[in-house]
Amino acid sequence: MLRPATLTALAILALACGSLIGLARAGSDFASLLTLGPYLARLLASAGLQAALSTLLSLLLGTALALALLRRCFPGRELLLALLTTAAVAPTIVIAFGVVAIYGRSGLLGSLMRGIGAEPPSIYGLHGIVLAHVLMNMPLVTRALLHAFEREPGERRRLAAALGFTAADCFRHLDWPVIRREAPALAVLVFLLCFTSFAIVLSLGGGPANATLEVAIYEAVRFEADFVRAAALAGLQLVICLGLAASLSALTPRARAEAGAGHRAPRPDLRTMRGIDAGVLALGTVLVAPPLLSVASGLAHLPSLASVEFVRAAATSAVIAITAGLLACLLALLLASSARRLPQRSRLADLAAFALLGLPPFAFVAGLYVLLRGLGDPASLGLVLVPLVNALMALPYTYRLLAPALATSAERHGRLAESLGLAGWNRLRLVEWPALRGALGAAFAFATALSLGDFGVIALFGGPELTTLPYLLANRLGAYRIDEAGALALVLVLSAGGLAFLTQRWSARHA
Amino acid sequence: MLEIAGLALRYPGFTARYELTVPTGALCAVIGPSGGGKTTLLHAIAGFEQPEAGSLRFAGQDLLPLAPAQRPVSILFQDHNLFPHLTAAENVALGLKPSLRLDAGERERVAAALAEVNLAELASRRPAELSGGQRQRVALARALLRGKPLMLLDEPFGALDPGLRREMIARVDALRRSHGLTVLMTLHTPEEAAQTADLFAFVANGRVETSGPWGRLTAKDGPAPVRRFLGL
Repeated sequence: MLRPATLTALAILALACGSLIGLARAGSDFASLLTLGPYLARLLASAGLQAALSTLLSLLLGTALALALLRRCFPGRELLLALLTTAAVAPTIVIAFGVVAIYGRSGLLGSLMRGIGAEPPSIYGLHGIVLAHVLMNMPLVTRALLHAFEREPGERRRLAAALGFTAADCFRHLDWPVIRREAPALAVLVFLLCFTSFAIVLSLGGGPANATLEVAIYEAVRFEADFVRAAALAGLQLVICLGLAASLSALTPRARAEAGAGHRAPRPDLRTMRGIDAGVLALGTVLVAPPLLSVASGLAHLPSLASVEFVRAAATSAVIAITAGLLACLLALLLASSARRLPQRSRLADLAAFALLGLPPFAFVAGLYVLLRGLGDPASLGLVLVPLVNALMALPYTYRLLAPALATSAERHGRLAESLGLAGWNRLRLVEWPALRGALGAAFAFATALSLGDFGVIALFGGPELTTLPYLLANRLGAYRIDEAGALALVLVLSAGGLAFLTQRWSARHA
Repeated sequence: MLEIAGLALRYPGFTARYELTVPTGALCAVIGPSGGGKTTLLHAIAGFEQPEAGSLRFAGQDLLPLAPAQRPVSILFQDHNLFPHLTAAENVALGLKPSLRLDAGERERVAAALAEVNLAELASRRPAELSGGQRQRVALARALLRGKPLMLLDEPFGALDPGLRREMIARVDALRRSHGLTVLMTLHTPEEAAQTADLFAFVANGRVETSGPWGRLTAKDGPAPVRRFLGL
């Protein structure tokens, strides 16, 4: 008999394959695929270039900032770390708003430049995309590397002090081995995120010259109804992203049992690097803080949101996000349940979870829509498909959070539970729930926040009948109604921040 | 002589204060319950902790104004003494030049230090390819190469098997005698150093509660806290 994990994995894979097949069958002009060659080459080159530039800059700046934060303890350090976390988890459409609000022609910088008689440059184009991607991914790199640096045994820093290491020696023997170990996986992850970027490229791309595969699929489905092209592009993106996801899995360093004493042990390069660290910290703050803080400008314009349209969008967002969060956790638990009996997690469950990393959400949802379009109008189908696809897009992350917790519980208490005859609901309630609830809170909040800020799938179904907060924000941003956009961005950031805060409290209480 | 007088280190809700004298060339075993302040004492001598009061002198020299690298001290930890990306020889060479740009003479000195701990043939191996005992011998070779007269060993052999632990203590004792070193070594199993150490310092509650030779501390009329700690 098939177990729940296997059934769930097979259902997810069937859904993914079915959507792509449905998409391909919906079109008939297969001959047009032959003309895609030069278009595809141009698309891949431009997406590859912006992703490579974004990755390089995010890694360089993120590494420098992580090292400066590692060496320095100063008032406001925690605030800067909180800002970095916010930038890393903020909805992409909010980041796009922040970039426009600060660097756009009618933004802060534009106003300042006009004040001195200079014409501000346009933010739309490759530089705008790269700036927004760096703003999002540099904090991700900083947090990941800082965590890795702090995990290194304090004895090594003490040894460095005792052996009289210079700043160059510290970098060579303390920092570089960590960077060399962690950076390849981070680089692949950032490249993957930038290569498949949608909201930022759509908002700041400035035209088809800077499109990604994701944007091209969206345009093929939404504006040209060219499902064959969308399926071909989706297949290509799937192959590229699965390749990247596989290399990410291979490059991700194994958990290291190197816990040493005194992680805050002082380093001998503190004095030498003071000036450089101050410069890097100032640069990082100047880069990250203004676009994020620009969201606060929305506070003054909150009253402008008092409309039926906003209330409907907020309610729709909440329903979609909570449904997606619950569904993502349920699917992750079902997939992870294989760990209860097997000595290792099921490879099929792993495959089902991580295949979704490479699946373009537009192709996925468009394929499902094509298959189901006879069953209802787009808005009603959207209300079902948007949370489903949002949940599936969050699944790789919720699975990564829940599977290890369940596997650890099985490893520690599995045999005891079996010997006591604890199974099913009783085992979940008495044995697994205490180990799971911290991770479950984090997974639910993450999936809910991801869905709440999603401006991807909703872009296909969005319209007067089905509007979410990110859709409304993109709409206002496109209409240059910056004040209203600011207020909406503030609502989104506060909602995501509130979720993060509640999760942190929940996880701390149940750790 | 190592002279520690009123050396005070303040932590939230706790102040450690040490008094201890160790003759030059002696091996002093620092014993006591976990969390009692043994490692803090060694870290203060090495310069990793900043005392707020007291004095710390070795061979008449005030050590407190000196940075860790300037002190006449080498230290071995229980773990993480070696950098995993460097070979055994490179880890030893760090004791001479952290830049690792060595001339022929310096390379010979590194080889000699490794030979002294019987690891000449494993010079090109990385720490992951060495056993726990071999890793500690590499760290010992580096300490010897640095030529510092005061050696601090912070439970360096705690993770080794009992037989290997005794062998390493004997090796340290032999090197101490041949190089004229003063050694402070924290231990979890003091009995293993009973025949080797000249002096035992019992550290508990952030104080050196008592010190003296093994025979006096373990005698029937010896200090009660030490006898309780040893289960006598």
